[in-house]
Amino acid sequence: MDKKIFIDGREFAIDGTKTVLEIARENGIYIPSLCYLKKLGPASMCRVCVVEVDGIRNLQTSCSLMPTDGMKITTGSPRVIEARKMVVNLLLANGNHNCLICERNGDCELQEAAYNLGIDIPAFVVPEREEKDESAAFIIRDGNKCIQCGRCVEACNRMVVNEVLEMGNRGGHTHVICDNDLPMGASSCVQCGECVQACPVGALYEKKGVGKGRPWEIRKVRTTCPYCGVGCQQELHLKGDQIVRIKGVEGAQPNDGHLCVKGRYGYDFIYSKERLTTPLIKKNGKFEEASWDEALDLVANKFKQIIKESGPDAIAGVSCARSINEDSFYMQKLFRAAIGTNNIDHCART
Amino acid sequence: MDKQNDTMIKTIIDRYPKKDSAVMPVMQYLQKKNNNRLDDRAVETAAKAIGCSKGKIYGIATYYTMFNTQPVGKYHLQVDTCVPGFLQGADEILAHLEKKLGIKTGETTKDGMFTLSAVQDLGSCATGPVIQVNDRYFENMTVKKTDVLIDALKSGKEPENDPSMTVVSKCNILLNDRTKKDCRTLAFYKGNGGYQSLKKALSMKPDEIVAEVKEAGIRGRGGAGFPAGTKWTFLPKNDSRPVYLICNADEGEPGTFKDRQIMEFNPHLLVEGIAISSFALNAKKSFIYIRGEFDWIADILEAAIEEAKKDGQLNHVDIVVHRGGGSYVCGDETAQIESLEGKRGNPRVKPPFPANFGLYGCPTVVNNVETLSCVPYVIQNGAAAFQKIGVTNNFGPKIFGVSGHVNKPGIFEYPMGTPLKEILEAAGGVKGKMKGVIVGGLSVAILTAKEAEGLNMDYDSCNKAGTALGSGGIMVVNDTVSIPELALRTIEFYHHESCGQCVPCREGSLVIEHKLRDIVEGRGKMEDIDLILHLTKNIKGLTLCPTGEAFAVPIQAMVSKFRPEFEALVKK
Ligand SMILES: Cc1cc2nc3c(=O)[nH]c(=O)nc-3n(C[C@H](O)[C@H](O)[C@H](O)COP(=O)(O)O)c2cc1C
Ligand code: SF4
Ligand code: SF4
Ligand code: SF4
Ligand code: SF4
Ligand code: FES
Repeated sequence: MDKKIFIDGREFAIDGTKTVLEIARENGIYIPSLCYLKKLGPASMCRVCVVEVDGIRNLQTSCSLMPTDGMKITTGSPRVIEARKMVVNLLLANGNHNCLICERNGDCELQEAAYNLGIDIPAFVVPEREEKDESAAFIIRDGNKCIQCGRCVEACNRMVVNEVLEMGNRGGHTHVICDNDLPMGASSCVQCGECVQACPVGALYEKKGVGKGRPWEIRKVRTTCPYCGVGCQQELHLKGDQIVRIKGVEGAQPNDGHLCVKGRYGYDFIYSKERLTTPLIKKNGKFEEASWDEALDLVANKFKQIIKESGPDAIAGVSCARSINEDSFYMQKLFRAAIGTNNIDHCART
Repeated sequence: MDKQNDTMIKTIIDRYPKKDSAVMPVMQYLQKKNNNRLDDRAVETAAKAIGCSKGKIYGIATYYTMFNTQPVGKYHLQVDTCVPGFLQGADEILAHLEKKLGIKTGETTKDGMFTLSAVQDLGSCATGPVIQVNDRYFENMTVKKTDVLIDALKSGKEPENDPSMTVVSKCNILLNDRTKKDCRTLAFYKGNGGYQSLKKALSMKPDEIVAEVKEAGIRGRGGAGFPAGTKWTFLPKNDSRPVYLICNADEGEPGTFKDRQIMEFNPHLLVEGIAISSFALNAKKSFIYIRGEFDWIADILEAAIEEAKKDGQLNHVDIVVHRGGGSYVCGDETAQIESLEGKRGNPRVKPPFPANFGLYGCPTVVNNVETLSCVPYVIQNGAAAFQKIGVTNNFGPKIFGVSGHVNKPGIFEYPMGTPLKEILEAAGGVKGKMKGVIVGGLSVAILTAKEAEGLNMDYDSCNKAGTALGSGGIMVVNDTVSIPELALRTIEFYHHESCGQCVPCREGSLVIEHKLRDIVEGRGKMEDIDLILHLTKNIKGLTLCPTGEAFAVPIQAMVSKFRPEFEALVKK
């Protein structure tokens, strides 16, 4: 017999692999969440995703709740809404959530929850401030917007295993630290940005993107990182033709959202005036711009001439080690089959 | 020196099945060797020894209060200003010390001799005010005795501690005659029939022991009152993983100072209890997780274990004493397991429960000191004898600690179900006029004097009266006390202790603390009172572990039962 549950009276089949939050989301039932990130699994810490379950006294966190056959779940009862509102209010009350100047305005899980719950300005305010940490090359940390969800800590330790971030102190003083509480720029952080991508709010953001564009002005383009042979999938966030930031594509092979510091932040070169955009051919000791056909013809003719004069083994090929497997395959095919030599190697062997 | 360090660290690591568990003991050792400070170098040494990141060590160091990442004076004076201390005049001692040393709380004297701190509950509720100097306690302090203490420390001496208080045992099962100088020794214990019960247990089948304990109906003395024998039967059968027994000796609930009475004066009773229970549960390795502030009591336990081992009593189990680092939440069983695994003491999400997935992911039983100390009696005399003590469904002896406004505060071993009145009489009666009483440690609802009339001290009666027996820590509050101030002290404790994982507890306790301080200091508004009640109502049951409830319940009770006192402060 098929097992099933009821969410707000609607019936869903269960197979024991999905949490109540996942089932609800897949079926368009809104439940806010803050500490939950698919890649990391449930943390059960923020308590904003609570639902009411028939026969269980306390509200349950849907992100960690595995449904059992016949379970009856209510996602929007007054009791649930009151609890959720309190959680969001508490988070807005502590810190400095001025969305006007926040980089995540319009793309923030806390703001989204507040919007859906109809929360205006926080009902109560506690003044407590932390300093912004702008010491690192590419990442800004703003403790005043941090909701201590722990996603960055988990990402740094479990996903990229760089083991830089930790939670320091406890209670109301709990905050994210780098190493033994160093500024990020002085810590062992390699600026991979995994933590930034994991952050649900504007507590971690890209230095280079500041003031460059709002989420609704942004066009997203998927592409492959040009840096190395891994072929990480990127999502460029563009305003006009300018890159505002780069994100890794979650759920896509081979990187599942991860990027390294170069792929994520080393994109300025594409705007460099010194960048070559056409082939150059040296004529009379000076480089002159040429078309691709001219350049390829020139190289092909020279190869032919060398083979004729000195045989194919007078030519050797060295390919770039950052090339993808397919390109490397063609390279050796070109040398072995077309040119006729086994002199083929790559740069990283030297 | 470095070589000696390495050997010592290796010895510490070898005590544990997993290296990570040694992290706190290693840090404690390094701090002690380094003028009571865990500086960057020590953090690095610890990280290297354990094979983890510096961030992890630093995260642990700043989670637990007993690690000093910043320099402290030669003598770290820590005055317990939590509720029991507050009721006994700790504020006066703290103010006097500030004046005498010419520094504010949190500062160090220029000569680097003294650092002054106000700290949370130290578990010396009947012997307050108490000052902890580095790792030594000085109890029953007065202004005059404080002067003597400071002068002595200045001249490089340490005066004797005076831990005296009233001790009454009607049951004579858990408490022994502490006036005897050799009361802690194996010889004394055996002279009174000690380790006979273990001998009997070892001749029984483990299942028979479990059945007997279950039959006796010992309800867990850690606070929740869950039957120990039933908990034991939750361990999975035919499981190849090792089983661990953890004795919870964290004793952090303000108003509670009962477990230390057993451990400090009758340590072999606990050792025997653990030995029997370990045999019954097939645990080859057991831990006593004792709060770090009780360092000297941990030494006593270690000595007792050593003695028992030499006497051949512990051939079937290895008992390790593990010192905590200063954290109330580590009294929660899952936080304790995390802490014992060498992490920040963040409670785990349940399920899975420790019986199935506890220490190192193995089947684990966590029981309180007093619970396990009842086991030898049950095995020796049988479940029926145990049930002759106490009342139906609430059997056995119970150690009640009485503090606050009574004439003779102290420790009282009485049968479960004894009238509160009788216990308070044994404690010399109420000093002044009773305003209210907290009967089960700080996390239960306060009773007004009227509500407390006719109360019997057992789990069921307390529940019926709208409160809880909890740990049996009774705090009497007379009419000199302002309840809003008491509420502020209460929330200060929980906010300070919150592990910080979940929002309702971390942020809720912070907001309540701010609002209560506003009220007490005359800045409060009427709507603040309603806000506090709104928060406590919603926090209850919403948090990851029971700590949220542990402050929501008492604060709600104080505000709703004594609301006029709060209103009087905001109306002005
Ligand atoms: C915040 C918190 C603090 C606790 N502190 C203690 C403690 O100090 N000692 C203790 O024995 N149990 C404490 N407990 C209860 C333990 O989680 C656990 O239930 C108990 O140790 C089980 O032992 P028992 O069944 O023998 O009582 C605490 C629970 C919570 C939630
Ligand atoms: S983090 Fe979110 S809620 Fe906070 S200011 Fe930024 S957008 Fe607003
Ligand atoms: S940028 Fe990478 S290495 Fe640095 S803290 Fe974030 S996740 Fe860790
Ligand atoms: S910085 Fe972001 S991800 Fe990290 S704890 Fe704060 S809110 Fe969560
Ligand atoms: S209720 Fe408090 S102590 Fe318990 S997990 Fe949440 S924050 Fe930590
Ligand atoms: S999303 Fe479920 S508790 Fe945070």
